[in-house]
Amino acid sequence: MYNYNLFDNMFQLKGLFDDFFRETAYEPVSGMPPVRIYSSDDRVIVRALVPGIEPDNIDMQIIEDNLVISGEKKSDYSADTYIRKERRFGGFKRSIKLPYRVNTETVKADLINGVLTITLQKSEEAKPKKIEIN
Amino acid sequence: MIERNVTYANGEQKKVYIPLTDICETPDNYSLKMEVPGAARENIDIVIEDDELRVTVKSADEETEDTLKYSEFGTRDFYRAFRVGNEIDRNKIEAKLENGVLNILLSKTEKVKPKKIQITHN
Repeated sequence: MYNYNLFDNMFQLKGLFDDFFRETAYEPVSGMPPVRIYSSDDRVIVRALVPGIEPDNIDMQIIEDNLVISGEKKSDYSADTYIRKERRFGGFKRSIKLPYRVNTETVKADLINGVLTITLQKSEEAKPKKIEIN
Repeated sequence: MIERNVTYANGEQKKVYIPLTDICETPDNYSLKMEVPGAARENIDIVIEDDELRVTVKSADEETEDTLKYSEFGTRDFYRAFRVGNEIDRNKIEAKLENGVLNILLSKTEKVKPKKIQITHN
């Protein structure tokens, strides 16, 4: 089996330099897992790509108005010879700032086909409250 | 994720994601593990034609009434083609989807498998 392409390797080399300079600079690196955030007035939906990770190896925490996703992607390598290794394994941790405080009791998380969907409801304290004049 | 422009067999040009793939070889088979997060089984298309194995994953439209506020990945198809040569048994290809990882097992044809030769007695 072969799928060698000269340009592939050139791009990989370019990526290597890019990664090196990006990681040494004090800039936020787009972390693992990549996320997508949806929100409406009373809820936030966070979608994260976590292919190949068992639900038991994902940990979620809500700290004030941050959602912290951490875990470990365990290597599934076998003892046989590999022709290509592109996937990455190891631990990850990511903190996501939410637009408002959320109700920690009603958080819902689903893992379907390697996509983690976390639904968070706005907390009562963060909702606008009308104050009556006595 | 790595993006690339491809032209599908039907002439359609698209920007797709190239799924990260590990390929492992044993004496009997090749095993591929591709990361296709979000792919549902019915949207995956695996075709072997001539000496090429093509994997296409059609992206599903997201159905939500919430507004997208921030995004690090898009809803694109996944596509990748592999030159597999002629040593693959076409009737013995197995595919399995597990936690967003697509496992494809390609068996080698009998003629390329290692064969132990016994020395016969005189």
